[in-house]
Amino acid sequence: MFYRLSGVRHSSYVSDRRMFQVPADRNAVIILLMIGLAAPFLIPSLYLNSYVLPWLIWTAAVLGLNLVTGWAGQLHLGYAAVMAVGAYSAVHAARFGIPWEFALLIGGLSSSVIGSLFAFTALRVKGLYLALTTLAMQFVMDWVLTHSPTITGGSHASLQSPPFALLGQEITSDAGLYYVALGWCILVTIFMLNLKRTGLGRAWVAVREKDFAAAILGVNSFYYKLVAFAASSFIAGVTGAILVATFYFLAAPEQFAVNVSIQVLAMVIIGGLGSIIGSYMGAALILLMPGVVNQVFSAFAGLIGLELSIETLAHIPNAAYGALIVIFLMVEPLGLGKLYANIRDYLMIWPFDQLKK
Amino acid sequence: MSAEHQSGKTPVLECRNVERRFGGLVAVTGVDMTINRGEIFGLVGPNGSGKTTLTNAITGFYPPNTGQIILDGKDITGTKPHKVAAMGVARTFQNLALFNGMSVLDNILLGRHVHMNPGVIRTALYWWLARPEEIANREVVEEIIDFLQLESIRNELVDGIPIGLKKRVELARALVAEPHLLILDEPMAGMNQEEKEYMARFILDARAERGVSVLLIEHHMDVIIGICDRMLALNYGEMIATGVPSEVINDPRVVEAYIGVGHDA
Repeated sequence: MFYRLSGVRHSSYVSDRRMFQVPADRNAVIILLMIGLAAPFLIPSLYLNSYVLPWLIWTAAVLGLNLVTGWAGQLHLGYAAVMAVGAYSAVHAARFGIPWEFALLIGGLSSSVIGSLFAFTALRVKGLYLALTTLAMQFVMDWVLTHSPTITGGSHASLQSPPFALLGQEITSDAGLYYVALGWCILVTIFMLNLKRTGLGRAWVAVREKDFAAAILGVNSFYYKLVAFAASSFIAGVTGAILVATFYFLAAPEQFAVNVSIQVLAMVIIGGLGSIIGSYMGAALILLMPGVVNQVFSAFAGLIGLELSIETLAHIPNAAYGALIVIFLMVEPLGLGKLYANIRDYLMIWPFDQLKK
Repeated sequence: MSAEHQSGKTPVLECRNVERRFGGLVAVTGVDMTINRGEIFGLVGPNGSGKTTLTNAITGFYPPNTGQIILDGKDITGTKPHKVAAMGVARTFQNLALFNGMSVLDNILLGRHVHMNPGVIRTALYWWLARPEEIANREVVEEIIDFLQLESIRNELVDGIPIGLKKRVELARALVAEPHLLILDEPMAGMNQEEKEYMARFILDARAERGVSVLLIEHHMDVIIGICDRMLALNYGEMIATGVPSEVINDPRVVEAYIGVGHDA
């Protein structure tokens, strides 16, 4: 219906390979982009900076992890550690007086170097063994952060991030910080969209699905896995730096602890492995759902006149939130992105379902 | 360039005394095989006779324990599979090795990998750096799609197409790499007569139009006799006969290996 494919005729390979094939998708993206740009004028800045901004940054992080786990098929449990490398290098660089543009780049590159150095050794094992090895990286990084005062200022200490600035212009307003997060999220999204139509994306999918078939097509799996870790780590590093610079304003080891790694992985899996829109949805669900469930519960309790103790109010939403994740994954194991794709595919031919092949 | 012109005596592939063992099991031993340029070479043998092991030895998955493999005059013994692919060997698999989540078009585009140079920066700056390469390779892919008559399923997911077409897509993916040597591992398994004839025609046309040399593993003797120039029969990992198909299949040892000999009471 809305997503009509009929009448879309390509007369060149360039147009056949454009980012959004269906006109409705293209229009939807343009509308969403406009809402994104207008958000500071539509949403109160409290909500903008405590919900929308972290959602965008975490989405960028989820996309980065999706690159290595969803595309290249390598389970990664040390993602927060890689983000920490980027965050700390960028903050230190900025404190040293390096402009933030370069500080972000330094953050990304140092993450990339550490991430691929680590992957170089870890990639000798596969599957669950690799997952455990990456978990080891997380613990090593946690230990390093809490035990090296030169990096973190000592255990339980935090490192103040200098005010964020781009092109010599200090950015302190809520809207300004939001635009920084939005810009980075869009850049990462564009990169991921491009992956769907280049040899690099195809090579990663080949490595993920059948590495022997990839090899006979000339794809060097070890090299491409390494590139996946390097690229994903770069995204993680810059995202970690932006997270500290625009949201936390100070860097502390517990911001990048093992539970954060698990949380980002949960966002990837609930959103859908290899799904871009799913990454947005997964991040939103995991970040916003606890608050929403909490509010729904207290509102419901108030409605039926039930007195809930603070204790109960703190625990019930957690249980409900866990149950929601289970339900979502039972309905569609491929994640929210696939759930959306099913609806979209259905609407694509509605009301002529009988035309379905 | 016609097939006759090409099929001089220049060998594309030479296997010299190849042996491959798995622990105590000798899968292939003492195999000598030469495939000349422009030749369609048949490889037959009962199940478990070492045909697939031999192709795996050539493509580098199971490097031979002894012996040599020479491709275009270069010793490639023990070379990694992805490097062998880059040197001009393409193959299809007995049980299909297509990427199910991808479209037919993307699968065939992957066949062009050896001619492409994908990278992170190129992907990030798609419009300037990756697109020209993608489009140029797309044109080669479309030629093959046209050649193998896959136009109508170009955008389908590989998951949803019938097995006969899957085999054809895999052939397309191998051909699009412009290999010197094409290894087809039972390309006609499970096909009906009509599909077999189509496939045989495609293999002959591929040689005539693209000058590719083919190593064909098949159980269908009619196909082997119909399109192969020379052939080799294996049994228990050893060569039992080699030469022109019409002679090889009448060799008593080949008959015995395949059909068995009656024992009079």
